[in-house]
Amino acid sequence: MRVVLAEDLYLLRSGLERLLEAHGFNVIAAVDNAADLLTALVDEKPDVAIVDVRLPPTFTDEGLRAAIEGRRQVPGLPVLVLSQYVEQLYARELLADQAGAVGYLLKDRVFNDDQFTDAIRAVAGGGTVMDPEVIAKLMTRRQRDEPVTRLSAREREVLDLMAEGRSNSAIAQRLFISEKAVGKHSTSIFAKLNLAPSEDDNRRVLAVLAYLNQ
Amino acid sequence: MSGMAFLGLLVVFTIFVLVAQRVVLRLWRRMREQGAGALAIRLHRPRDIRWGAALLPVTIGFLVLAGTYGITNVDGTGSGNLFSAKSIPGDLFYTLLVLAAVTLYTLVQPRRAGYLAAAGLAGIGAWVLFQALVFPHYAYDYEWYGWLRDQLYFPELVLVAAACLTGGFFLTRRTIVADVRARRSGLTAQVERLARTRADAVDSAAAELRRLERDLHDGAQARLVALGINLRTAEKLIEVSPTAAAALVADCRNTATLALSELRDLVRGIYPPVLADRGLGDAIRALALDCPVLTLTDIQLPGRPPAPVESAVYFAVAEALSNAAKHAEAKTILIRATHERGMLRVQIDDDGVGGADPASGTGLAGMEQRLGAFDGILAVSSPAGGPTIVVIEVPCALSSLKTSTS
Ligand SMILES: Nc1ncnc2c1ncn2[C@@H]1O[C@H](COP(=O)(O)OP(=O)(O)OP(=O)(O)O)[C@@H](O)[C@H]1O
Ligand SMILES: [Mg+2]
Repeated sequence: MRVVLAEDLYLLRSGLERLLEAHGFNVIAAVDNAADLLTALVDEKPDVAIVDVRLPPTFTDEGLRAAIEGRRQVPGLPVLVLSQYVEQLYARELLADQAGAVGYLLKDRVFNDDQFTDAIRAVAGGGTVMDPEVIAKLMTRRQRDEPVTRLSAREREVLDLMAEGRSNSAIAQRLFISEKAVGKHSTSIFAKLNLAPSEDDNRRVLAVLAYLNQ
Repeated sequence: MSGMAFLGLLVVFTIFVLVAQRVVLRLWRRMREQGAGALAIRLHRPRDIRWGAALLPVTIGFLVLAGTYGITNVDGTGSGNLFSAKSIPGDLFYTLLVLAAVTLYTLVQPRRAGYLAAAGLAGIGAWVLFQALVFPHYAYDYEWYGWLRDQLYFPELVLVAAACLTGGFFLTRRTIVADVRARRSGLTAQVERLARTRADAVDSAAAELRRLERDLHDGAQARLVALGINLRTAEKLIEVSPTAAAALVADCRNTATLALSELRDLVRGIYPPVLADRGLGDAIRALALDCPVLTLTDIQLPGRPPAPVESAVYFAVAEALSNAAKHAEAKTILIRATHERGMLRVQIDDDGVGGADPASGTGLAGMEQRLGAFDGILAVSSPAGGPTIVVIEVPCALSSLKTSTS
């Protein structure tokens, strides 16, 4: 899988590169600024790009902007955005084009390399991956809402994991239940939240995020 | 019309045009800034007009005096009194022009008109006194009864002079002296306020640094120490007992995650990243999104305030939001931000139970203190039963946005 990596700190860049190579990814370009990133995205059209939010020259949200611009020029280009902190505001901007194939994670998540590489593959495959911290923030708002309070505790757990972009099998593994049970829970969740049921994983995540984002 | 009269007309006319021009310009500017209310405001300042109005009678007094002593002798006969029948209609026209100009000046600059009236009244008094004491000997000494006439006029003149001087003294105290005092006490108050807000700012900055030091010391620093120890142990165990070593390393990973999340919270408390990235507008939008209560925003900020103002306002808004979420039982919160005529204004409304009181907590009072360092204010209106309105105002300029928000 061809990966473009954008990270300005040398230590992190080389660390990530090593980690990715170790997991069988092919890092075709590792850049340290937004301009190079945009060129790499548009010219190379990688299978997935892993992008730090803060990049030179302004060290603000250069990376995020470059990622959004890259996806504007190459629609549906898979991008996984990494950051030292997560903001719902940025999550919304990433999700705004509704094209899927996008992820937004805290850098800490890299520590768990299995989950991290799962996330990369999910994004490359057109899926949507949101950091649990973003989901938690979305949930606090929704906690007072009628429909969400009607969910059972287990359904809430399934909803959280669904919103993070996990597949049925991953959710089943995580909660130590069968995939079939996950399917049942998700049908019930969609009914309670008045969402149109969907078999496609990515559509499901987008529906849930859109609902939480209202 | 004589040359003198023409010159007089020219001078008076010039003054009139200058004054009228000022009046029109000022009114036009005020109307543009404040709409039709400008006229009403100009006329609704009786306190200022009170002493300024004295300029009119004082001017009349001057004209009478001037006429009496032939200063404005316009007909060249040496006996011209401005109000004498001879000089009508020409002189009456100038007189009316002068009075009109004086009236206009009083309306435009009531306070300065007051100063002029005070000085003029004192001037008339001084002149009459001088007249009473010195001038008669020259005026009448060629007549045998001149001395006697002096004696007859003397008490009257002295009386008039005394009245004018007293009036001048009184007016001076009420206008010039009063204004100087007011300005001085205003300055004193401002100095006191600046000293206080500066001390507050220094105190809160020092307290903030102490808090940071403690948080780092007990948090991230301690975790890094633990990390080092555990890694060293794992290093030693790795040959003897690889499973134990692996467990320790996994432990280290958790510790690193915890240290990171603590540092993240710390950074948010110092200078929130989204504020650094995007500026006040988007930082407020981010706060609104994170607030557990539904929060709407209407933000009209064409640029960024100076960084210290930005962060003070950000934290004040954050406090108002967390209060509304914590105490108000609100259903909706509305945040509006504008920048008009050099004033940044953020208003946070919630439809909760009300009863907010900055005196009964540390949050609002602290924000008020912090904003005070920038001459800013935080005002709270929160009747029992609600709604609560928190207004933050800070005078500042906006710099243009370096990057546009998408
Ligand atoms: N939006 C609000 N609606 C209703 N009551 C409020 C609101 N904001 C503040 N209050 C009341 O005013 C008091 C003072 O608020 P303040 O923020 O100064 O202190 P606090 O929130 O109690 O403590 P702190 O902010 O220091 O943690 C609060 O204790 C609360 O009772
Ligand atoms: Mg508070």
